[in-house]
Amino acid sequence: MATATTAEEHADDLDIVAPSALRAAILDLRDLWGMFLRTLYYVFRGRREPGAIAEQMHAIGNRSLPFMCVTMAFIGAIICFQSALQSQRLIPDLTMLGATYTQLLVRDIAASVGAMPFATRVGAGIAAEIGSMVVTEQVDALRMCAADPVDYLVVPRFIASVVMGTVVLLISGFVAYLSGMLVANVVFDVNVHTFINFSMVGLADLAVGLFKCVTYGAAIAIVSAHRGLTTFGGSEGVGWATTQAVVGSCFAIIVLNLVISSVAYIVLF
Amino acid sequence: MIEVVDVRKRFARPVLSGVSLRVPKGCIYALIGPGAAGKSVLFKILAGLIAPDRGEVLIDGDEITTMTPLELAEARRKIGMLFQNYALFEMSVADNIAFPLRRLFDLSEEEISERVEERLARVALSGYGHRFPQGLSGGQKKRVGVARATIARPPLVLYDEPTAGLDPVTSQKIYDLIQDEQQKNKSTCVVISSDVTGVLTIADRVGMLHRGKLIFDGATREAQESDIPEVRQFVHGLTEGPL
Repeated sequence: MATATTAEEHADDLDIVAPSALRAAILDLRDLWGMFLRTLYYVFRGRREPGAIAEQMHAIGNRSLPFMCVTMAFIGAIICFQSALQSQRLIPDLTMLGATYTQLLVRDIAASVGAMPFATRVGAGIAAEIGSMVVTEQVDALRMCAADPVDYLVVPRFIASVVMGTVVLLISGFVAYLSGMLVANVVFDVNVHTFINFSMVGLADLAVGLFKCVTYGAAIAIVSAHRGLTTFGGSEGVGWATTQAVVGSCFAIIVLNLVISSVAYIVLF
Repeated sequence: MIEVVDVRKRFARPVLSGVSLRVPKGCIYALIGPGAAGKSVLFKILAGLIAPDRGEVLIDGDEITTMTPLELAEARRKIGMLFQNYALFEMSVADNIAFPLRRLFDLSEEEISERVEERLARVALSGYGHRFPQGLSGGQKKRVGVARATIARPPLVLYDEPTAGLDPVTSQKIYDLIQDEQQKNKSTCVVISSDVTGVLTIADRVGMLHRGKLIFDGATREAQESDIPEVRQFVHGLTEGPL
């Protein structure tokens, strides 16, 4: 009886919580969309601080590259190993391993899987940096000097994340390709010349992969900057914003992947 | 100069409950009160950083609560602000001080440099322009903040806890600096401070907030002689009383 009562109470709680959580999610999405539009506006009409974009490109691109290359080398090796192992059970011929792996990498893995570690590295950094500025009143000080935080803080990070995100994902994707080739050669005895096979990669695959890289770079910057700018409280708030930035960025990547892949499948393939 | 009419603001609980006050032009107005009285929120409302739920805030006759972001940016040319946590950017002291000029006005770099040097001398930090805020003491950071808040010679300057965390001697130097600046520029100043003894040495008028309400608004001497129990206890630092 007591359990039933508790279940009923929980159901009541859900009735109250679910609409408010949904409402909060919708408001959040509206805020994100608003920030994206404002960022786009300032990309073309904003005031550039000398060196701000280059500084962010260095922080987001150069500093992420070693971490991304190492991570993607392991991911590439694991994916190639597992793919080869599975396909060996069905067809003992691995001559098309390189071709299918390359297509998968170009179309999806390099961008979508690579974007996850990139989001943890870059998203957390953006949210922590902007969040700290919020709690130390620097963002208010910017506003008092007629510097819109979106223009001053978000735009350089957005441009850097789009440009360097694409570059880093392409480079780390290539590293994943090399590590996959190494595993195929060493473990499954696939000849390097046989592995290097681009017959299954079309222009559409390249276009979709590249579009994903650009989109993920933009999404990580917008979601993380938004979480940073909505930080409240002290250092605990910054920690919360950082966590939310990583979670939000990863979720955005997954949703965007589904949308882009579906549209590309219908339109291009 | 500043007119606040029936301002209300609520977060999880009511923070300001119908605050009305008037700060005359060219006066130093001290806003005092115990912690969580709503001083900082009122301050941010005056600067247009937080919108009130209800009420009007007029600065030089302009209602700032209904302004568009562009109008608000224009109105902020007339407001300088010193933040409690310094709010100095990660750039050199000179660039920090020059920041409002570069953002708000179309001045040549030569003119900006001259103004920065003049401000640095004014706050006794000549030769510190190339240094970074991380390497400065609390008092020096406050003085950089004062220089940044006043470099555009705004007619209204807001000081949020200008002496928080400073020793008594440095605190008095900061108050003297605020007073000198006010007299030189004939500006209007609003100063939030928990250091009642110090702030009353420079204030012309005093307002006391308590639990989101303005319980006193009058001349400094009236505050010192007030019979309102909360005001008397707070101004004289008594341990016995309603606070």
